[in-house]
Amino acid sequence: MKGLLKGLGVTFKAMTKPKVTIAYPDEPLVMPDRFRGIQHFIPELCIVCNQCARVCPTDCITLTGKPNPDPEKKGKVIDTFDINFEICILCDLCTEVCPTEAIVMTNNFELAAYSRDDLFKDRQWLRDNNKNVRQDNNNIGAPQPGKGGAK
Amino acid sequence: MSDEEKKEGAKDDLEPDATSGSQRSNDLSEELTAANDAERGESRLSAAEAGTESAVLETGANTDTSDPIDLERESRSGSTAESGVEHREADQETAEARAARAATKAATEGGAASPPAPADPEREAKLAAAAEAPAARAAAKAAAEGEAAGPPAPADPEREAKLAVAAEARAARAAAKAAAEGGTPSAASGSAEQPPAATSPRQPELDGLVALIRDAAGPDAIESATLNELNGDLPTIIVQSDHLTAAANALKSAPQTRFTYLRNVSGVDYETHLEVVYHLVSLTTGRDAAIKVKADREQPQIPSVTPIWATANWNEREIYDLLGIHFTGHPDLRRIMMPDDWEGHPLRKDYAPLDPEV
Amino acid sequence: MIRTEELLLNVGPQHPSTHGVFRIIVKLDGEVITEATPVMGYLHRGTEKLAEELTYTQIIPYTDRMDYVSAMTNNYVLCHAVETMMGLAVPERAEFLRLIVMELQRVASHLVWWGTYLLDIGAMSPFLYAFRDRETIVNLFNELSGARLTYNYMRVGGVKWDATDAWLDKVRDFLPYMEKKLVEYDHLVSGNEIFLARIRGVGRYDAETAIDYGLSGANLRCTGVDWDLRRTKPYSLYERFEFDVPVGRTGDCHDRYLIRLEEIRQSLRILRQALEQFPSGGETMGKVPRVIRPPAGEVYVAIESPRGEIGCHIVSKGKQEPYRLKFRRPSFVNLQILPKLLVGETMTNLITILGGIDIVVGEVDC
Repeated sequence: MKGLLKGLGVTFKAMTKPKVTIAYPDEPLVMPDRFRGIQHFIPELCIVCNQCARVCPTDCITLTGKPNPDPEKKGKVIDTFDINFEICILCDLCTEVCPTEAIVMTNNFELAAYSRDDLFKDRQWLRDNNKNVRQDNNNIGAPQPGKGGAK
Repeated sequence: MSDEEKKEGAKDDLEPDATSGSQRSNDLSEELTAANDAERGESRLSAAEAGTESAVLETGANTDTSDPIDLERESRSGSTAESGVEHREADQETAEARAARAATKAATEGGAASPPAPADPEREAKLAAAAEAPAARAAAKAAAEGEAAGPPAPADPEREAKLAVAAEARAARAAAKAAAEGGTPSAASGSAEQPPAATSPRQPELDGLVALIRDAAGPDAIESATLNELNGDLPTIIVQSDHLTAAANALKSAPQTRFTYLRNVSGVDYETHLEVVYHLVSLTTGRDAAIKVKADREQPQIPSVTPIWATANWNEREIYDLLGIHFTGHPDLRRIMMPDDWEGHPLRKDYAPLDPEV
Repeated sequence: MIRTEELLLNVGPQHPSTHGVFRIIVKLDGEVITEATPVMGYLHRGTEKLAEELTYTQIIPYTDRMDYVSAMTNNYVLCHAVETMMGLAVPERAEFLRLIVMELQRVASHLVWWGTYLLDIGAMSPFLYAFRDRETIVNLFNELSGARLTYNYMRVGGVKWDATDAWLDKVRDFLPYMEKKLVEYDHLVSGNEIFLARIRGVGRYDAETAIDYGLSGANLRCTGVDWDLRRTKPYSLYERFEFDVPVGRTGDCHDRYLIRLEEIRQSLRILRQALEQFPSGGETMGKVPRVIRPPAGEVYVAIESPRGEIGCHIVSKGKQEPYRLKFRRPSFVNLQILPKLLVGETMTNLITILGGIDIVVGEVDC
């Protein structure tokens, strides 16, 4: 009997404590800065090195490049860039290896859609997904100009 | 006796018999501080004798096979890490740093606290030269290319890494040759000429196991017996599959080994044959060992050890399911992960699913 | 004429108390079980096969998803195995961070176990209390690594993210809070007569059976065998800290329950010491070659996860990808004793025993 009463005592005390729940859809859920949400892509910075596509553990990135339209400059610019969010696991390895930080994570995580086709995001959508971009990227895979490599 | 008291009673019993435990941890920490106080390379062996992985920083287990090159490299990497030296300019730096380290090591060889050995400085100078060569090549290439930033041409960093790894492999081979002039605390730089056979501190363990299996299962039971240097000199014995039951029984019941705990059973598909690896540990002495058994690829059959260690039951079922090795004497050999009507054994290297979409 | 028949009941893959998609086929004689056959494989994702084509860094997100309740220990076992093979040194600060997150993960995992176990037995409120406290830990991990469940935090040679001082202060504040909560949990549950009547003496086995079946973790220690890999085969920095390993006596569910609660307390003790000894500076990644190519050979390392001994057996041919990667999953091995324990028990005790073994089906199936 005593054990039961002790337990009830804890329950009653808990009624006086403040609530710990968040009324989610009405109150937005604020994620810390390092949160790995959906990616944001900046086509101007991309040099088509293919590191992100190579390192992706689930092979969800497909990209093509085209030679730079400006005849002075060498190298490629990005033509198409697709991420298949059906299989992207938001693991952050693509941002880790990108040498120019052209692909970064945001803090958005709401990607629910009514059809699977909507989950295949293209370059334009990823470029426009620029709210809540993550500041602290810790790009340890690629060399940073002036900062050195693996840090 | 009210429930309260019963609960307290039970709780008290659970108050761990940890006096021995914490005492042991105290002893270990004392040993470790002693190890860290002395020249790092030397007293690591005394800590290793206690059976623990020695210095806490190094997760690599091959520090037990003390050899001058690995220890110095690791201690230097520890110190450079702490002093925060920026080594990270370019991709080619790993080879350069290694060359620099080898060079400084050769330079300070005479100033080391432990007595230098006649054979070693020559060997190390050779290795330093070997390590410097790729670094020199790398430096020349870096100069030619200019900036090392930007998209590294994929060939170069990999090649540099390959060269670095090759240098490491050469160093490791040389280290393994002079492996553990060990057992003596001051053997960091090698106090004797290279002995013809490596004497690791666990060699007598291996010999004991070999003798035990030979007694129990016959002289031709053992195909080979080695110490796995990568895994802290784990005694690894390859046993013929017909003699497995006898050998396993001996290992389990012999008073000097008491391998009552079978930790892990893995199946591996080498393309020429299949292999099953058993990892054993003794709960009383803390010693471990690994037994391997080979099986033919066409008709793989291995006697089951389930009658000896009951934990092998599902492990062997999993290996049967994924690799196709048939365990004779297993009480219930059927598929466990894949659906019961699956065709083929998925983990084999030549597995092609009937339906590629699945 | 009244006659009795044997009933074949499917405690099906979809069941709230089987902790995942896990199926047990039980033969019942009235309410008493005569035979039980576990069927698994519903969550088999082929991690080991996939790993043969991925580099080690790419495998780390996959390890997160094996034992998803305790992802940090999975990360660690893979990184530790590769570092052992290559002989890499991990900087002290990184090792401290690894240890802190692993111990926090142990607390979180035991909280999940506690809450769900009591929910299975029938108590609804401890579940919410446990998850409320687990939220604190999961938020800490969110701040540190960017995810709440699948952290992808450790890398070969170190960790990915450094911890700010603010984060360390938050961990420090969490410790006394959690200790108070543990006292509250004791008052709530541990003396409850109904709870004790359901748990005491259920699912009992002795030390010889436990060793024979290869059990590990609390399942082994409840029988009196003092075997904890943090103490007997130390890895990481566990030798620097003082902590006790709770060992039981009778080998029943009650002992396992008490051991796991005590383990939370001991983890908090380790955390306190680790935060005191935390180095003020240092690197988070060691000297790792850009391309991770372990030398040819094989290695097996094992660490103590909240569920028992998790091991990683890597066979490497000197390439970037492993030739064979096998995980020794504790839930898989611990579950083998279930058919033996269930014979002669009632259906209600099935749930009690299954919960007491503490399985995560993601780990059972890999």
